[in-house]
Amino acid sequence: MLRFSSTLLVLTALISPHTAYSADKALGETRYKETCINCHGPAGKGAASFPKISGKEISYTTAKLEAYRKGIEQGSNSFLMIPMAKPLTDEEIANLAAYLKDAKYVVE
Amino acid sequence: MKKISGSLLSGVMASALIFGVSLAAQADGHEGAMDVPKIKAEVVLQGLENPWDMAFLPDGTMFFTEKCKGLSVRTADGTVNALYGVKGSSGFADVGDDLFCEAQAGVLGVVPDRHFAKNRILYLYSSSMKYRGDGCKTNFEKCDGNIVMRFKVSDDLKSVSDRTDIVTDIQYKPFSSDQPFGDPGAHNGGRLRVGPGGYLWVAGGDRHRGICPQDGQLLCGKVLRIDMDGNAHPDNNPPEGFDKRIYTYGHRNVQGIDFRPSDGKAFTAEHGPWHNDEITALVNGGNAGWDPAQNRGGRGECPDEYCGYEPNQKGEMDPAVRAAYTPMSDTRFKDLMPPSWNNNGFSQGTGSAAFLKGDNWGIYEGRLAVGIMGIGFGGTPAGSRIDMISLTPDGLGINGITRMPLGFSKRFRGLVMGPDNALYVSVDAGEIYRVTAESMK
Repeated sequence: MLRFSSTLLVLTALISPHTAYSADKALGETRYKETCINCHGPAGKGAASFPKISGKEISYTTAKLEAYRKGIEQGSNSFLMIPMAKPLTDEEIANLAAYLKDAKYVVE
Repeated sequence: MKKISGSLLSGVMASALIFGVSLAAQADGHEGAMDVPKIKAEVVLQGLENPWDMAFLPDGTMFFTEKCKGLSVRTADGTVNALYGVKGSSGFADVGDDLFCEAQAGVLGVVPDRHFAKNRILYLYSSSMKYRGDGCKTNFEKCDGNIVMRFKVSDDLKSVSDRTDIVTDIQYKPFSSDQPFGDPGAHNGGRLRVGPGGYLWVAGGDRHRGICPQDGQLLCGKVLRIDMDGNAHPDNNPPEGFDKRIYTYGHRNVQGIDFRPSDGKAFTAEHGPWHNDEITALVNGGNAGWDPAQNRGGRGECPDEYCGYEPNQKGEMDPAVRAAYTPMSDTRFKDLMPPSWNNNGFSQGTGSAAFLKGDNWGIYEGRLAVGIMGIGFGGTPAGSRIDMISLTPDGLGINGITRMPLGFSKRFRGLVMGPDNALYVSVDAGEIYRVTAESMK
């Protein structure tokens, strides 16, 4: 029974999109600049009413975006985030989370 | 026939080229080549926290505010002195224990007195706990939480003193509400400018309270014209029964105000809800036409008694439908000041505005530079930019708009002209830019 469970865990890990895909920070930055930057500012540093989203753990950002994508409200401005997250693919979420974890704002 | 038409067309075009353009150029006062200036931007300060407004002395000294930190000054030699901070701030020469920041609220507008060289007086707008009393128990009470302060600035520009609160009763939103951007501290206006004759103009916001803009006793949703002690300008002409400090009413959230150099006329830049950012030529005692109260204008009840984003306030909808439901400029008001411009029906976040002064701006001299911060929702493109708007002489329309060729887009929050005829621009990301124009003459 124990052996069967271990095998199942390994198989689950192998087919999970989160582990199968190696996140690409550069693609995450590109995707970030398409829409997210308009409210959250450059490099996720936050602006006005929109919170800072850089420097968070990958698991935190991933969970947040997945929840928004499902239409789950998380705070007063969820109505803005839900339509933004709806079209995101698993790969895009992984890339965004990876980019935002270490994103640093540099004035260009 | 086709050939003849083509020849005829060519002839007409040639005539237009020879005569039409020449006449048009003369009519514009630009004989020969147009003077299209070369525009460049450079960073003056960076690493700031939400820089909101700037104000200049003739020698280039720049006062500036950071929303959650306080008031500072950059002297003519580039030294930065932190002058007056909010409660809990560090590094400032002095701290206002009643000052705070929350969401959109904080330390906002700043402007020196017109006689600063003699009296060293500076005005500052901020959120404050000092005058709340017991009137802030719910969102439906008066809640005086925004103030205008007057300071004396030391000769060495290292400190301020003699704080006097000259306006203490501008309303504040103390709690969250069921609206988009429904956090406390919404819609404070906050821009301060000194207008013709040296009077102080205070731009306000509706603080997400439906009755504010059209109420004659509440200062939320108003533009005030006052003297250096906070008293009403003697020529203010609001409707009977209104607070005499009110110059105009019916505003949503005025973050931009400036005075046209050619005639001194005041223009505001106002942030729309899900529709219609607006520029408006102010008329003494006039109504900008914003009325988000429930049970008015054919509307029923609205969430938390505020119809400002309705209908379907958190969903996507054609901006034109919303504009018909709760208009930015409601034509049912007989004293309506119609907008000069309305951003093609969009709301992209109009911030500040400043008239471009100096012949170095060439054909753009006298245009109103308007900062659009940018927000994309429901199919509206984000649109972060600075527009240079040519206004008609009567202020009721525009001749045209040119986007300022900066080469980058940011949330352009504060715009003000410097004594060097450069436009200074603060962005939410933390920089203050100096935008120069070089005449090509």
